[in-house]
Amino acid sequence: METAHTDKNFEQKLNHLTDNLIKMSNIVEKQIEIAVNVIKSKDSSDAQTTQNLDEQVDEVERDVRDLSFEIMTLHRPVASDLRLVFTALKVSKELERMGDHSRNLAKRAISISSSFDEDLTVQMHNLGKGVQKMVNQTLESFFKKDEVQARISWNQDAEIDRQYKSLLSDLIERMHNKETSVVDEGTKPILIAKSLERIGDHATNIAEEVIFNITGHYIDLKKSDFE
Amino acid sequence: MVDQNSNYALQTSEVYVHYGKKMAINNVALNFPKNEVTSLIGPSGCGKSTFLRCLNRMNDVIDICNVKGKFLLNGNVDIYSPDIQVETLREKVGMVFQKPNPFPKTIYENVAYGPKIHGIASSQNELDEIVKDSLHRAGLYEEVKDRMDDIATGLSGGQQQRLCIARAIAIRPEIILMDEPCSALDPIATAKIEDLINELKENYTIIIVTHSMSQASRVSSKTAFFHLGNLVEYGETGKIFTKPDKEQTNDYITGRFG
Repeated sequence: METAHTDKNFEQKLNHLTDNLIKMSNIVEKQIEIAVNVIKSKDSSDAQTTQNLDEQVDEVERDVRDLSFEIMTLHRPVASDLRLVFTALKVSKELERMGDHSRNLAKRAISISSSFDEDLTVQMHNLGKGVQKMVNQTLESFFKKDEVQARISWNQDAEIDRQYKSLLSDLIERMHNKETSVVDEGTKPILIAKSLERIGDHATNIAEEVIFNITGHYIDLKKSDFE
Repeated sequence: MVDQNSNYALQTSEVYVHYGKKMAINNVALNFPKNEVTSLIGPSGCGKSTFLRCLNRMNDVIDICNVKGKFLLNGNVDIYSPDIQVETLREKVGMVFQKPNPFPKTIYENVAYGPKIHGIASSQNELDEIVKDSLHRAGLYEEVKDRMDDIATGLSGGQQQRLCIARAIAIRPEIILMDEPCSALDPIATAKIEDLINELKENYTIIIVTHSMSQASRVSSKTAFFHLGNLVEYGETGKIFTKPDKEQTNDYITGRFG
C-alpha cells in the first residue's frame, strides 16, 4: 500500500479522482451488461436505461477532466501521481466511448425484428458476453494495479476480433444467399457486432494505459507475443 | 596529467563523511557529466549539502568533519591530494551560496577580486574585460554597467545572486557548485537564475542542491536523491520525475515522505 501524502488536500483529490473512475467503470460495465442482454431480450425499457446511464457517464467524465486539470494546475503532480492523472484522463475517455457504443447497440438491437435468425442472435450475444468479460477483467487490472492481468486482458482482444470476423462473414454469406430475415434487417446486425468489437478495442487501450500506469512505459505490444 | 577524454568533470566513489561520530554520508559514488546540470535533492539533513561541500573542500574548515573517499577532477586529479592547494582547487570548482553574499565593496571590485588574487589578469584592461564578460555571462551587465562603482549590497536580492555567479565565473572555473541559489529569491529572480543556469551549462558543469522539486526538474538533466546520508537513486531527471526506480524516491518527490 502506498504511503499517505503529507498534503492531505492533494491526497483527498487523488482519492476522489480514483473514486470517480471506479464510479464511471461501474456505470459503463452496467451499460454493457444491459446492452448485451438487450440483443436477446429486445427490451425497450432496458435500451432506454443504457441511454440514461450514458448521461451519467458523460457527467462523471466531465468531473474527471475538471479534477485532473485542477490537480495539474494546483499540485503539479510528478511520478506515480502524474501517471495516475494522465491515465485517468485517457481511461475516462475510453470508458465514455464504450458507453456510447453500448447505448447505440442497445438502440439498434430493439429495432431488429423478433423473427431474426436465432443462431446469429446467439452469436452476437456470445460476442457481447466475451467483450463484457474482457472489459471487467481490464478494469479490475486497473484498480488492482495488476500488470499481468492487464496483459492477459489485452490478449483477449484477438479472440474478440476472431469472433467478430466470423460473425461478419456469416452475415455477409447469408445476405448473398438472400436469407430473408437477414436481408430485411439490413446493416443493423453488422453495426451491433461492430459496436461490440469497438468496445473490445477500447478495453485494449485501457489495458495499455494500465501497463503505463504501473511501469511508466508504453509497451509495444504485439499479438504474437501472446500467441 | 589530466585526462581530457573523460566525459565526467568530477567522479566520486566510496565517499564517507562523519561529523565527529555522526555519519553524514555513507559510501556514496556519484559522477558528474561535463556540461550538464546535476541536481542533488532530498529532505533536510540527508547529506546533500555536506556532499556538495566535499566537492571543493569546503568541509576542510570544519574541525570535526572527516571526509574519506575518492574525488577525481577531469578523470585523474585527486582533489584531496596533499599536492593540491585548496585555492587552486577553488579556481576550478567555484561555489554560489544560498544567500547572496557580495563583499561590501563596489560591483566592479566584487567581480575583479577573484581574478586579482588568482593573478588571472595581467593588465587593468584585461581585468576590465574579465569583469565585463563575467557580468555579461551572468546576465547582469546591462543592469549595472552605469553603476559599477556603486556598493554591491545596494542591488536587489536577485541581482546580488547573479553578481555572486559573475564573481564565481570570473575566475574561470570548470565546475560551479550551487547550494540552494534561489531559496531567498522571488519567482522572477528565480526564473532569471534558472535561465542563466541553462546558458551556463554550455561552458560549465553545474551541480545544484535544491529543495524545490520543480526547480530540479526544470534545470537539471541528471538528478540524485539522497536520504539519511545514502544516495538512494541517481538518473535522468525526466525518468526520476515520471517513473523513479525506487519507491523511496517516488514517496519523496510526490510528497509522501513520512
